Amino acid sequence: MIEVDRVTKAFYTVVAVNDLSLDVPEGEVIGVLGPNGAGKTTLFKLLAGFLKPDKGRIRAKRLQWPAIGYKPERLLFPNQMRVLAYLEMVAALSNVNSRDIRRVVYDSLSRVNLLDASQKQIRDCSKGMRQRLGLAQALIGDPPLLILDEPSNGLDPDGQAIIASHIQQLRQMGKTILLSSHQLHEVTQVCTHLIIMNQGQILYERPMAEALIEQPHALIRVNQPLAPVAALLQSLHPEVVIQEQEIVLNNEAMGLRRQVLSILLAAGYDILKVEQQRVTLAEVYAEATR
Amino acid sequence: MIQRIATLCRYLTTSLLFSLTGVIYLIGTLVYYWLAFQQPSPEVSYFVLVIGLFGGAVTFLLTLSIASRANQAINFPLLVRLPSRVEYLAAVFLTAVTLGLLLQLLVGLIALLHNGPSLSLSQAVEIPPVWLAINILAAALALHASELVTAGWSRVYLYGALAVLLFLQSNHSQVMSWIGGRFLALGNWFNGLGITALNFPLRNLANWLSVNGNEWLARFIAFVFWPIQAITEATMNGYFSRAQALAPAVLLLYATIIFMLAADLFANKDLHLHE
Repeated sequence: MIEVDRVTKAFYTVVAVNDLSLDVPEGEVIGVLGPNGAGKTTLFKLLAGFLKPDKGRIRAKRLQWPAIGYKPERLLFPNQMRVLAYLEMVAALSNVNSRDIRRVVYDSLSRVNLLDASQKQIRDCSKGMRQRLGLAQALIGDPPLLILDEPSNGLDPDGQAIIASHIQQLRQMGKTILLSSHQLHEVTQVCTHLIIMNQGQILYERPMAEALIEQPHALIRVNQPLAPVAALLQSLHPEVVIQEQEIVLNNEAMGLRRQVLSILLAAGYDILKVEQQRVTLAEVYAEATR
Repeated sequence: MIQRIATLCRYLTTSLLFSLTGVIYLIGTLVYYWLAFQQPSPEVSYFVLVIGLFGGAVTFLLTLSIASRANQAINFPLLVRLPSRVEYLAAVFLTAVTLGLLLQLLVGLIALLHNGPSLSLSQAVEIPPVWLAINILAAALALHASELVTAGWSRVYLYGALAVLLFLQSNHSQVMSWIGGRFLALGNWFNGLGITALNFPLRNLANWLSVNGNEWLARFIAFVFWPIQAITEATMNGYFSRAQALAPAVLLLYATIIFMLAADLFANKDLHLHE
């Protein structure tokens, strides 16, 4: 849908995005993670057209106007306006037929559970309402690409869950979504693709499912201390970690688990638990940004 | 496109008028009327010039105020909706010109109702297009002074060029003879070094600049400032000759060129809207 080809963007001496290439496929929800100052917001602003690349280019394929719905990181709105009037204005700017504006706005408000606040002045809206308002305005005009910069930033767990469920609904509707977040569980929950950035570059890029099973661990718990068989087990593979009554297999080598289990059974241990553990997003993130 | 620009104009107008800045503009307009029209029954030329000057100045300031509001980060979600950034700039421009004209008409109307000059209908109809042309030029110039449009050194270049033209308007002969003198001195310096081949052309150039160059420069500057001069003269005389009637159109041409420059700058710059 959008192709970013070796784009560099610098502000004076600070290189915010450095020779970055990225293909945004249609219908994917791409989670962009990275520490503060990694270049996520600059990348989003480049994609939304607010910034021009110093080098490289950004190409949009088969995108018809209005192509992009954008929710900025900061929840800044014209506070003196009412929610309804603000969304009507966004609709009028988004090629919505004047007869359909009211319907489109109410549709967008109901999608984010904000109908009750339609007559409120924006200054009277809570943080959660403002986040949902940000999402509602991005949805108006049915743009195929949504850029959501920290959509659940500063929300309580309930608020985060509501936003995550809205994003999942949008995913089911086939929208292409780019979102940045510091909420790792939210990214795990809603994203189909993962990008980790630091210092303006992509350090890690993979489909989410692949990212999370990339280094599977297995945990085996037994009924008595493992000291008598520890040496034998460790001789199988250096990635076999022996704890008191637990063995952690940090390797996906074929047959390793079966070999460990046979040794344990032969030595008369009872197997209390065998658990396949996936690597967490936090571990992937820590590894990539190390 | 018209729907989008009209929507943005409405938004910018309400955001300005329902703010302290909007109230200040309204109070400023009334104070200006009070200061400028203390004497009863002024001349028509006084009426046209004083309110014309007010219109240009207030449109310039309004453009700066509206552009500053348009340059806020709350507008990112609106900007991303537009197929072209120029629509956004057009909305800023049109809002400023419209509000400027309305404030100007307010002063004019109050002045006419309270001891103003007596105007025939034909005179009254002739005045607003002249005012409007000046206001449009003021708005186009003000765009370049605003943070919204300016990119790099652009406003220094534009206002620098304007300052040079204004300086040359009254000092062109001194400037040309000074430049001629520098070339003459350069020729003498080369002569002293024994490079006589350069002395003769430099002397010729110095003479040409002092006589013909000065005349050319004077003509060029008179040509550039002709519309302003023509409008002022016509207003003082009380009627527009055929040639003078073209002056507002030439001002509009200037404004168009300056607006196109602003649109090009705005369309290609990085938008760092204020939070």
